[in-house]
Amino acid sequence: MSESRVVGAVEIGTSKVVVLLGEIIDGEGLNIIGHSMSSSYGVKKGVVDDLGVASDSVHAAIMEAEKNAQSRIDEVYLAQTGSHLSGSFNVGTTSVSGPDNIVSETDIFQAKEDAKRRQLPADRAYLHHIQNPFSLDGRKIDNPLSREGRQLQVGYWSVHAESSKVSDSLRVIRGIDLEVTDIIISSIASGAVLLEDSEKESGALVVDIGGGTTDYVLYRGGYIVKTGVVPVGGDHITNDLSIGLRISPGKAEKFKRIHGRAYYESGDREKNVWLTGDPSTSDLTIGDREYPLAAITKIIEARVSEIFEIIKKELEDAELYQPDDIACGVVLTGGSSQLNGIEESVRRVLGLEARVSDGPRDVAPELRHPAYSTALGLLHYALTGQEDRETNPPPNRFLRKIARLFNFD
Amino acid sequence: MNNPNDSLALEHNATEPLKIKIIGVGGAGTNALNNLELNPLCGVGQVQVAAINTDAKALSESRIPEKLVIGRSVTRGLGAGGELEIGKKAAEDDREAIAGLVGEMDLIILVVGLGGGTGSAAASVVAEVAARTEALVLAFATLPFSFEGKRRKDIAEAGIGELRQLVHGLIPLPNDVLLQEGEEDSTVLNAFAVADRWIGCGINSICAMLLKTGLINQDISSLRSVFQDRGGRTIFATGFASGEDYVSAALDELLICPLLHMGDRPAQLDRILVNITGGTDLGIAKVNQVISLVSQRFNSREDIVFGAVIDESRSGMLEICVMGKAGIEARQPIRPAVPTAKTSVAPLGKLGLEAEIAQDDRPPQPVHRSKLRHGDASPEVEQEEFLFVEANAQRGYFEKTDSNFYNGEDLDVPTFMRRGIKIKIKT
Repeated sequence: MSESRVVGAVEIGTSKVVVLLGEIIDGEGLNIIGHSMSSSYGVKKGVVDDLGVASDSVHAAIMEAEKNAQSRIDEVYLAQTGSHLSGSFNVGTTSVSGPDNIVSETDIFQAKEDAKRRQLPADRAYLHHIQNPFSLDGRKIDNPLSREGRQLQVGYWSVHAESSKVSDSLRVIRGIDLEVTDIIISSIASGAVLLEDSEKESGALVVDIGGGTTDYVLYRGGYIVKTGVVPVGGDHITNDLSIGLRISPGKAEKFKRIHGRAYYESGDREKNVWLTGDPSTSDLTIGDREYPLAAITKIIEARVSEIFEIIKKELEDAELYQPDDIACGVVLTGGSSQLNGIEESVRRVLGLEARVSDGPRDVAPELRHPAYSTALGLLHYALTGQEDRETNPPPNRFLRKIARLFNFD
Repeated sequence: MNNPNDSLALEHNATEPLKIKIIGVGGAGTNALNNLELNPLCGVGQVQVAAINTDAKALSESRIPEKLVIGRSVTRGLGAGGELEIGKKAAEDDREAIAGLVGEMDLIILVVGLGGGTGSAAASVVAEVAARTEALVLAFATLPFSFEGKRRKDIAEAGIGELRQLVHGLIPLPNDVLLQEGEEDSTVLNAFAVADRWIGCGINSICAMLLKTGLINQDISSLRSVFQDRGGRTIFATGFASGEDYVSAALDELLICPLLHMGDRPAQLDRILVNITGGTDLGIAKVNQVISLVSQRFNSREDIVFGAVIDESRSGMLEICVMGKAGIEARQPIRPAVPTAKTSVAPLGKLGLEAEIAQDDRPPQPVHRSKLRHGDASPEVEQEEFLFVEANAQRGYFEKTDSNFYNGEDLDVPTFMRRGIKIKIKT
């Protein structure tokens, strides 16, 4: 008899709640058996803002996906984003203990523990410790076991979060009587499914521009070397248009989708666009104004280029902005990656090649939409667990730690 | 004008003339008044103009009739150099002289540029002195550009927080927003010119309405009815047009006035004052058109105080000026985001915050726990929450969320505004 469990991948985004149901058979195969995507409420800039409202919309989305799959969720993998996420690169060091200077399991364990022992303030908790290559007497090495050397070092990119923000997300899932098995930050989840192994090896930056946040993950030499969250997304573009053009957010959203472009070009000065296109509207309302396209594209250009400038600055500060080491360029995903001209904006600001991801090739076409990439990444981790060397999700003992940390009911 | 009410008003004015004083505080406030063209028809002589500054040289170059240099003992007449403490000391030292200048007025209009040393500090002292008199006190305050830095912004925020408690109506004019007006290739100076023009428009509307015989006259008591209470959010907007179909054009201008679009402005105002100034061709039908649209737009629950002034030199043009106060009643609190989290609602009455919180027609929000890290509901924490309110004005949809600072800039404020990129929205 084959053994199966149903995993619910849940992303509580700023504008959308995405739920995917995956059936994992014998811990080997994964079938996506249900999905739902619906508008999100009570979430701003990636963080639950109104627990009651957010819970209602998430619960509805989960139930819809379950109905769609005609199955019940056994465990939940949850995505997390928000500007409260932060990370640091820590190096653990140990002297090789054996008399023959041969690296043992114990030495590796010691080096790893040394890297992870950095204490956090009381209101923060680690979400991920992502292992980077070892170095043995200064030589980079993937697996140092049984190799000869004196000093063993290992780097970790460690991601931590504000406990209260994570616990708010957990409460939403607990409210429907489901247990969260794992929390994975959105950027890592998206990156896992959108890049080929060869791209991770050559270096690539995945940028997931959502409604309220932009999450990015940088791969170099097959390892995750940095993740980050810029608390700016498509909602900001809409808000800027709404303020700048003095129109309602609904109309601004429409403008963004129909006429928006991520960069301004001089030809925009001559072009005008209509807000409603309906000339029957009374001339005493603001319903039928005509707007210069230049106004729209200038507002969007300022905002979108700022997002990439912040990412560039953060990579520079970490001494990781070396275009040669990001040979595969930038892969864009998330709802706002659908904005016209976004690749050009990346090229101008970051000086890197860019492409908008058309989704993982091994899933059904309707799931290749950029809004699904984070949830697909969650399922990927549900299937592969910690066996994946490069991405190294948090081991289970760590999850139990989270569960304890946030267990206040 | 055979309206009996008008003649009564005239009689009243004749026996006891209305005393109005416009006071510019600090360098920017004085400059704004230097450029002010008072409508010559609105009773020159009844409107006094005065300036207060620490910088004696700047003041001596001004053509404002009444001048007061403060803080000579502190600054030797050299200005406050952007230092808030110096401005504060200068104003405190000369409190008596300020009281003499403020005098006994019916209406005082303060004009100040916040962010510097003198204006930010002295304005609240002047307002405090004025608040002790019977006068109705209104204030126009410009706020610094984002690119002037966080320090000036913080000073301005603090200044506006103080002022708001002391005056009946405070009209903040953020330079970032003002820059959006005017021609596309204009510069930062343009924002100052726009500020001056709007302040002038507001002042002239008020004065003309009170002092000039018009189609519809209003007196000081109707102005008082709009600005009954101190504190609260004041809405101010203007629209001007000339040429063909100038009524609709002026209304369009009014509706896209950027001051009405700084984020989540209250859709509903309790009392509004609308003044229109036009030429002899401004008939009652056109006036009605303006009234109905304005009351519809602001969903005014109570009556509109309406004034219409005829200026023979202004045929074929129309200027509309709207001022109003947002409602100040609180409603039932909504469910907090984290039900069991330790939350604290600022004691509203004690701090006089009712108006601040209700300005957006939303109930008081619990203080986020991140702000309570250093102990429970200390006065500083509440004050901090309160000071955020003005900064929020430019954040629109994100008004209610935690601020989003990156390198001293609030990312929720539109990038184009922070960078001073001008957007031309008229085709």
